[in-house]
Amino acid sequence: MAARVVLTKIGLDGHERGVMGIGRNLMNQGMEVVYLGMFQTPGSIVKTVLEEDADVLGLSYHSGLHIYFTKKIISLLKKQDLKNDVLLIVGGVIPPEDIGTLKKMGVDEVFPSGSLINSISNYIVAKTSQARGRS
Amino acid sequence: MLQKTRKRVTDNEGRENMTELSYEKIQKAYKDKITIQKTWSGFTVKDCYSSEDVRPEVMNEIAMPGVYPFKRGIHHDMYKGKLWTKRIVTGMGTGKETNERIRFQVEQGISGLNTVVDTPTHLGIDADHPWAKGQIGTDGVNITSMRDMELLTEGIPLDKVSWSLVFCCNESPVLLPMYFAVAQERGIPLDKLKGTVQNDPLHFRYCGYRVNAVLGLSEKGAADIIEYCTKYVPQWYTTTVNCYDLRENGLNAAQEIGYGFSIMMVYINEALKRGLHIDDFAPRLAFYISAHIDFFEEIAKFRAARSVWAKLLKERFGAKDPKSMQLKYAIHTAGRSLYSKQPLNNIVRIACETMAAAIGGAQSIHCCGYDEPIALPTEASNTLALRTQQVVAYETGVARVVDPMGGSYYVESLTARLEEEIWKCIKDIDNQGGMAEAMRTGWLDKEIEEESYRRQKAIEDKEEIVVGVNEFVTEMETTTLTGAQRVPEKIGREQIKAVKELKKTRNKKKVDQSIRHLREKAVSGDKENLIPAIMEAAKSYATLQEMWGTIREAYGLPYDVLGVLESPFKK
Repeated sequence: MAARVVLTKIGLDGHERGVMGIGRNLMNQGMEVVYLGMFQTPGSIVKTVLEEDADVLGLSYHSGLHIYFTKKIISLLKKQDLKNDVLLIVGGVIPPEDIGTLKKMGVDEVFPSGSLINSISNYIVAKTSQARGRS
Repeated sequence: MLQKTRKRVTDNEGRENMTELSYEKIQKAYKDKITIQKTWSGFTVKDCYSSEDVRPEVMNEIAMPGVYPFKRGIHHDMYKGKLWTKRIVTGMGTGKETNERIRFQVEQGISGLNTVVDTPTHLGIDADHPWAKGQIGTDGVNITSMRDMELLTEGIPLDKVSWSLVFCCNESPVLLPMYFAVAQERGIPLDKLKGTVQNDPLHFRYCGYRVNAVLGLSEKGAADIIEYCTKYVPQWYTTTVNCYDLRENGLNAAQEIGYGFSIMMVYINEALKRGLHIDDFAPRLAFYISAHIDFFEEIAKFRAARSVWAKLLKERFGAKDPKSMQLKYAIHTAGRSLYSKQPLNNIVRIACETMAAAIGGAQSIHCCGYDEPIALPTEASNTLALRTQQVVAYETGVARVVDPMGGSYYVESLTARLEEEIWKCIKDIDNQGGMAEAMRTGWLDKEIEEESYRRQKAIEDKEEIVVGVNEFVTEMETTTLTGAQRVPEKIGREQIKAVKELKKTRNKKKVDQSIRHLREKAVSGDKENLIPAIMEAAKSYATLQEMWGTIREAYGLPYDVLGVLESPFKK
């Protein structure tokens, strides 16, 4: 069964070329991709994850707001009891120093800008099969 | 793939002494050869070029720099007359923090200032807009009112510097008058000001700011700036069409220039509609161009661009003044060529790109920090970016001679090829009815999407090798050598407080009057130049959103690009 992936920008940042490329590539590899676009809030994102019954949530950052917004999104995912059901990945302009911080917060994997898309899709396939294997 | 056999040999005291190593990897590396036959943009190249590869008419046209069509350089002496302006883009926090960083950069040796605003400002919303929270000053300087412009320019003699203001979008016709208003308040005549404003809302539709780059109103705002500066700020460069951002989206070298020139033609036509003659304003048009990683292709691109621009201005627009035909451009080394894996490799990439920019004859250069894919630049990475320019300028000798590549069989052949391709791109846009139409119909979106996808695929499939990313890969770094620049959240919170305080304490009557006056001017027609009314409103401390929102309403648009706030002013 194909993984269902929600990809999104958050807040005012509009640098979406990277995440749109990722979305297209994941679709070409057979995944179902929902791209939310710009001007999303943590609330609108988590609502979509719930409605779409997403396997994966991918957050794309550019403007140094990866800790600020991811914290809020994780908190909402937990409130909605979704955190354990959704693979949370983060990408974009992220200092390596923050990768550990993000993972400690609950992010499953971080793909800084320039990451090969195959590495992202391989990761998603491996983790979502594992998750289905367990359930 | 790697196979390593190592015989452990120890000496009498038991210390390991490697005497025999056998690596398949090194054997493979020894036999390595270059197999890629195309430039970055996909043009097939031969193994070697000779005089047979350059058409006689091209060799005859080589001419000298400073002579139409200026392929070799716009001035006969180039860097012997004046070195390129060394600008390093800066913008963080509020005017205060950016002012401090600018002073630091001046101490290190920059020769021109270069400031970019943050996302809320690009979007034309104030710092106290509910959506701006948490996002103030994190990717540029926040400018909400003239108070912020005063802080940004504090202690900097505006008549003695050249300032490149990276106001890209619909905020340009509001922020530039704020800068002029500050100069006037300090008793500096506008005709003494030197600098540039980006003022290219059309391209910014492809950088995530489409909501604040509405077709129609964008061209009007851009033309207001060109017209006003032509009359009152004659040393000012009125637009710096941003080919660089188009390239960052994934376009190739020919598209970067061809589409960029087509955007400029929209602004030129708007300015001509205002009754200006081409030679009145074309000498003060400029471009922002990428210096990317394919060394010779970039040099050829700059030379071809000069030739195409000269011919375009002369043949299509009837320019007579050589200054109109001389392409002036600032360089931004290619952010997209940089990677967060093995980030120190970026220092090498930036150095190569800077050399290409210098050999290519740029008027101004901004070098990325090596940490561009990681965070805002630190003082250290900013300084290294500047030192890169200084090493190239003073140590390598490339600036000593104008157009040192002139006459190279390869570069002349590639220049001719790129010139053809650039003209093809311009023709493609002409066939769409011009760039505004190509954008309106989504034609340009499709081109960008396809080219960007092809580019990423080339890296995934190893048709393009990127060291540390798809070849010579190591474990991801865990730290950044010079640290990651942070903008503390409290700076944003304080800016929100400051803006709220300003709105409470300013002279409300003056603001109301000036906004009313601005609205009257805005509804009176496209050709009514709004810059003087904006300057007056700015002096009363009307804010960016208050001014731009009022203009938007006059054009039938909602006050707020995000549709959240209503105008606080009676109509």
